[in-house]
Formats: sequence, structure tokens, C-alpha cells
Amino acid sequence: MLLQLTAIQKRFGGVVALKNGNLAVAPGEVHLLLGENGAGKSTLMKIVAGMHQPDGGEMLWKGQKVSFSKPADASAVGIAMVHQESLLAPHLSVAENIFLGREERRAFGWVNRPRMLDQARRLIEEHRFPLHADWRVEKLSPAGKQLVEICRAIAHGSSLLIFDEPTSSLSESETQEVFRIVKTLRERKMGVIYITHRLEELRTVGDRVTILRDGETVHSCGLNEITNERIIQHMVGRELGSMYQRSALAPGEELLRVEGLTRKPLLHNVSFQVRAGEIVGMAGLVGAGRTETCRALFGLDQAEAGTVHIAGQAVTVRSPREAVEQGIALIPEDRQRTGLATALPIGHNLTIADIGKVSRMGFLLDHARERGLAGEYARKLRIKCESPRQLAGRLSGGNQQKVVIAKWLVRGARVFLFDEPTRGIDVGAKVEVYEVMDELARSGAAILMVSSELPELLQVADRILVMRQGRITGELPGRTTQEEIMKLATLHDGGALLEETAE
Amino acid sequence: MIQRLLPFLTLIALFVGLSIASPDHFLSKTNLSSVVRQTAVINLMALGMTLVIISGGIDLSVGAILAMGGLMGTMAMAKGQPILVGVFLGVLTGCLCGFLNGFLTTRLKINPFIVTLGTLGILRGTTLIISNGLPVHEIPAAFSYLGEGNLVGVPFVLWVLVICAVVVHVILEHTRLGRYAFSIGSNPDAAYYAGIPVAFHTTAVYAICGMLTGLGGMIEASRLMTGQPTAGQGYELQAIAAVVIGGGSLRGGEGSVIGTLVGAFIMGLLANGSDLLGISPYLQQAIIGATIILAVSFDELRKRKMVH
Repeated sequence: MLLQLTAIQKRFGGVVALKNGNLAVAPGEVHLLLGENGAGKSTLMKIVAGMHQPDGGEMLWKGQKVSFSKPADASAVGIAMVHQESLLAPHLSVAENIFLGREERRAFGWVNRPRMLDQARRLIEEHRFPLHADWRVEKLSPAGKQLVEICRAIAHGSSLLIFDEPTSSLSESETQEVFRIVKTLRERKMGVIYITHRLEELRTVGDRVTILRDGETVHSCGLNEITNERIIQHMVGRELGSMYQRSALAPGEELLRVEGLTRKPLLHNVSFQVRAGEIVGMAGLVGAGRTETCRALFGLDQAEAGTVHIAGQAVTVRSPREAVEQGIALIPEDRQRTGLATALPIGHNLTIADIGKVSRMGFLLDHARERGLAGEYARKLRIKCESPRQLAGRLSGGNQQKVVIAKWLVRGARVFLFDEPTRGIDVGAKVEVYEVMDELARSGAAILMVSSELPELLQVADRILVMRQGRITGELPGRTTQEEIMKLATLHDGGALLEETAE
Repeated sequence: MIQRLLPFLTLIALFVGLSIASPDHFLSKTNLSSVVRQTAVINLMALGMTLVIISGGIDLSVGAILAMGGLMGTMAMAKGQPILVGVFLGVLTGCLCGFLNGFLTTRLKINPFIVTLGTLGILRGTTLIISNGLPVHEIPAAFSYLGEGNLVGVPFVLWVLVICAVVVHVILEHTRLGRYAFSIGSNPDAAYYAGIPVAFHTTAVYAICGMLTGLGGMIEASRLMTGQPTAGQGYELQAIAAVVIGGGSLRGGEGSVIGTLVGAFIMGLLANGSDLLGISPYLQQAIIGATIILAVSFDELRKRKMVH
């Protein structure tokens, strides 16, 4: 065995993050680590990578007992981690990042830049990575950044590589590219631990699977010995019933009409409508213009041409403020960065878009009414919290998302733009988000739902718009297939991995 | 919880400690009054700074604003304007300077550290140019009441401070502006995405800070009975220190009026105590500096525990 963890325990203050973490990884094996948010996957991996120290249990590395007091200890023996959020120096080049902290030196400590560049180039060529050694990292897409981290791990001669949700921010074709690379790592007899939330991608890459629940390893077996249904049961600890499928309802009046929306080079003549009670899905690769459409509609970017009608009225939206006044709401893809004030109480987050509702004389806050309102919406959306005074950042991902949605309900928005509404959210909580969206639609809202997870679009959307390179390339009924969507999303181009960096 | 109360406990411990160490002098009415008078100016500035820091900003120019406000007010009095008009002008000057800071920060979208570092120079220079470097002395004698007078047995400045503290507390905890300040400081992007007029409220926060600083400038002028163009040098750091000792975070979104007052009085008592106990003013500075680092490290420890 390459790595063997036995009965690992870890607590933070009074909170037990890991009760009994067990995991064994062999060389040349791709090991999937599954579990809901808070199950302890990341904590366990951070212990392996030396970022946390365990309170109990035993860690064997190539048969030897080891303990790491800092990340450098783990990387010294050959353990590397590719992080969810990139841990690269954005202003340095790809080559400099690959050798960061282990620069090739000449006499007197001078950095041997040509040699580093050369080595980086050879490494990139050998693995057919779509990168250039002298590109600046800040210009890379999230996928490109992950490749750099992978290069770094390989260059350092690591024998175990940990991926923390590598594909959560990647498009389908980029995901395929990551899988290809993972397979080459396996061929080189490296061990790979792979944390993911996306069940549908398991089969393509994994050899073995270990499932964590509430800080305990509940199951571990070969991937061909277990069905997806059983995996979900182990993760959530209960039967999930059949997969969620929303039943469409008869749509009402047209609430959102977009005609000829253009913002070169990102958007070209984008036109569509969404009616009350409808959930319209929007599919496409990263950089296809889906998020850009949302941003333009919400006034974050200015469109060069095009008209927007809200409930039949032509409107111009030049800022989020004006969008909010028109009843448009954006649930952004990056919840933590743009959707929530995580250090403030839930109640404050709920009323922030419509503070007038809890004010007297227009400026004095009515704290009692605010608490009442917050409590009401927390119940309505089943937000699991101790009280409205709890800090928003301490909620789980799914509940944070509900707070973001509830904020717009308080405001009384009618047109909802959901950008990747379930990114980084547990399997169980995803369904709850779908249910909230369904209730919204039933109460007469018009919903545009951008998602990179095709199964989710098929489950939730009434119609699906597909975008490619800033244009809408087609519209499909809600009961279409993933293949149909991908056809429209890619057409001829398959290798869109670094689309954003092309200059 | 104990760590959240640490500033209060420190203040109480200091007070009790000094009462024991120097019972006759420290607890005398003259001494306590002078502590209040000495810290009132920093306290007022720190109240404004609390708002600014909560909204995620910083104002390095308050020392210069203080001098400019004091100079404008005293010059008006020297030219024969009534005292109240002079005070009003001082406060208005501060308000305009603060507005300028807010305007530049939000319109040019430059880091407030840089903007106020710039206006610190601009305002200080302008003050020296206007006054030609000379202090204003021709001030009506009655003006000294603002800084040195007593009302119902306590220093008049204490009343001023209490009223301002209550007003700022109400702004922070009970008004839309306060709520927006917390939101903007906690996550400016989320605030913008929620449709909050971020630029307007940020500017308002700097303007209020300027107003309070202008008032501080008039109190300083009243205590010295001169309009000093060089007044208030280094005060900005004391004001920031008071906010930070009181639990304010330079990352924004955190801070309170009570905390800031406690922070300012801790520094005031440290200075006063050192004087009474004959500790050299050189060492005083070092003690206050160490206090800042200690206070913030404890606060960081507390927050780190909360996260996990």
C-alpha cells in the first residue's frame, strides 16, 4: 500500500470533524473519496497533506509510520494536493509556478531561468498539456490553473496526488481533459485520491471508492462492485427515492424577453424569453457566454446592443441597483464571494436587498420585524440554522444558497437568474434547491438556470437553451438527452480547454 | 466570551490597578477630568474611524483634517464671527474633507489607504499655506469653555463625547447607513450585487468621520486656545489603534462604538498612569505599541477559534 490511514480522528474546538477515518490507496490506483459536505473528506485530505495534524489514529506511508507537522513534510515524501481554489502565484509564469520554492539555482543563489523554462516545457510536452511554460498564470482558466498544479506535483516527483473536487469549476470538455491526465498518472503508477461531488463522472476515472459520512468511513470497495444508488445511500445514510424530476406547469405571461443582446466578443445577438412559472435551462461550455448573459442582464456589464423587456415593459439596466429595482435577481455562481456577507448574521443577509421593508421612517431599522421576517423565510425555505443571528458563513453550502435565494424573495423579485445554483452543494441539498426553484416558479417567477451539470438541467428545466462562443446555438425541450445538448454546445470544437487564454 | 470581554476587563484592571498604585492622585477629580479632556479628541476621531473601518476603509488623513477644521474655525472667530459660527465652520470643513476622501475613494476606485495618504499631505499642506504656518491666537476667551469648561460637575467635552457616541451607535446599529456600512465592509461585492448604492454610502461614512474629526479639531483648538496648523500630527494612528484595540477589524465588517471607546480610554489610562507613576514618555510609547499588538493577537485567536 502507498498510503494507509487507520482510525484517524480530528476535532476543532468542540466540533468533531473526523471520528474514524480509514483509507488505503495502492500505487497506480485512482481512489474516489465521496461524502456530503461536512463528512470529513477535506479534513482527512488536509491531514494527509500535512495541513492539519490528527488527534488520533495512524498514518502509514509506504509501510512506514509517518506524521506531518506542516505541508512541506508531506510534499517532501511525495504527497501533493491540487486544490479547489488555486494556490498559485498569479503574477508568475507557468514555469515559475511549477518550480515555486524549488527553483533551479546557479552559483550565489541566482535563479537558473532558462533551465527551469526548458524543464517545464519538456514536462508539458510529455503530458500533452495545452499550456505554455512562459504564460502568466493569472491569464489561465480555472482548468489551466489546475493543470499547472498537476505539473508541479509531477515535477516534484510526487507519488500520491490528491484532487479536491477538480472538476467543480470545469466544463464538460475540460473535465474530459482532466480525466485523460488522471489516467496517465495511473499508468505511471502514481496513486490518485479524487474528491468529487459529481456522481456521474465517477465511472470514467475511478478504481476504488471510499465513502465518508459524519466523520466516519462507512464503506470502501472496488468501483465495479457497487451501484450509484448504493453509493448515494451510503453518503446520505438513507434511501433517496427515485431521482428528482420536476413536473412542468403551464407557463403564464412572458416576464423576461431578451432581444439581440450583444457585448463583443463575449455575446452575439442573444435572444430568448422566459415566462412566469417557467424554468429555462442554459447549457454550454465554460466561456460560452452563459455567465456573461446573466451579468449583462443584471447590469454588471453593459451590453452594446439589444433590448430587455420585463413583463412587457422595455427596461434599461445599467447597474445591479437598477436591475433589482426592475425585479431582477441574480444568484451568482460564486456564492461566497458575491452572494453573501459570510461574517454577518443570516438575518442581515436576508434583508440587505430590501432594507426598507424592515425600516421605520425610511432609515431606522426595526430589529424585531427583521427577526420576524428572517424567521419566516428561514421556515419557508427550510434553512437549517440555530437562529437568524447565526453567521451566514457557518451554514452548509445548501443552506447558504437558500439564504441568497431568500434575500431576493424578501425583495419580491420576479425574474431569477440562477448561475450554477448547486455548485459545491451536497447531493441531498441539491434536491432541496431544486424544490425551492420549483416553488418559485409555481408562485409565478420566471427562472433562467445556468448549469454545467447536464443531468441537473434535464431534471429541472422546462426548456434548455444551448450557448456556444457567445451565441445561442439551439433550444431543446426539457426531456432531451445529454448527447443532444453536447452536440449544440461543442459542434466541431472539442478542445476548448484554454479558450479563455487565447489571445 | 471572556476574550470578547478582554478589552473591558483590561480597562477595569487598569483603572483598579492605578487606583491602588496611586490612590491620591489618580482618583482625584482633577486627574480624572484631565484624562477625559485628553482622550476626548482621540475618542471623537476614533468614533468616526469606527464607521470608516467597519465599512472596510481607513482614513489616514484625520490628523490633517483636525488641523484644518481647527484652523478654519478659529480663523472665523479671529475675524469676528460668533463662537458657534466658528465651531460650525470647523465641523463643516471636516465634513467637506471627509467627503473629498469618500468621493476620491469611490470615484477613482483607489484603495482608501492611498487616497487618504494623499489627502493627508494635501490637507496638511493647504492648512499651512492658508495660515502661512502661523497659529491663530485672536480667539474669544469664552471659547475655552468647549475644551476646558464643566457642565453639571463634569467636563463639557464628556457630554459632547457621550452624545456623539450615542449618535454613532444608533447610526451603526439602528439605521440603514450602519447596516450598509457593515455589509460593504464585510463583502463589498455582495453588497453591490444586492443593489446597495455602495459609492453613496461609503462617501457618507467618510463625511461623518470628517465631521467628528472637525469637531475634535475645535475641541483641540479650545484646549490650546490657538488654531494650530500643525495640530493633530500622528493622531490618525491613535484613532486607528483605539478602533482596533476595541475589536474593530481592518478587513472591515467588524467593530463597535463601545469597543472603540474602551480602546481609546485604555490608551488614555496607560498614558496617564505612566505619567503618575513617573514612567518615561519614551517607554509609554512602547507600552502603547505593545498593547495594540497584544489586543489584536487575542482578537485574532478568538476569531480563529470561531471559524473551526
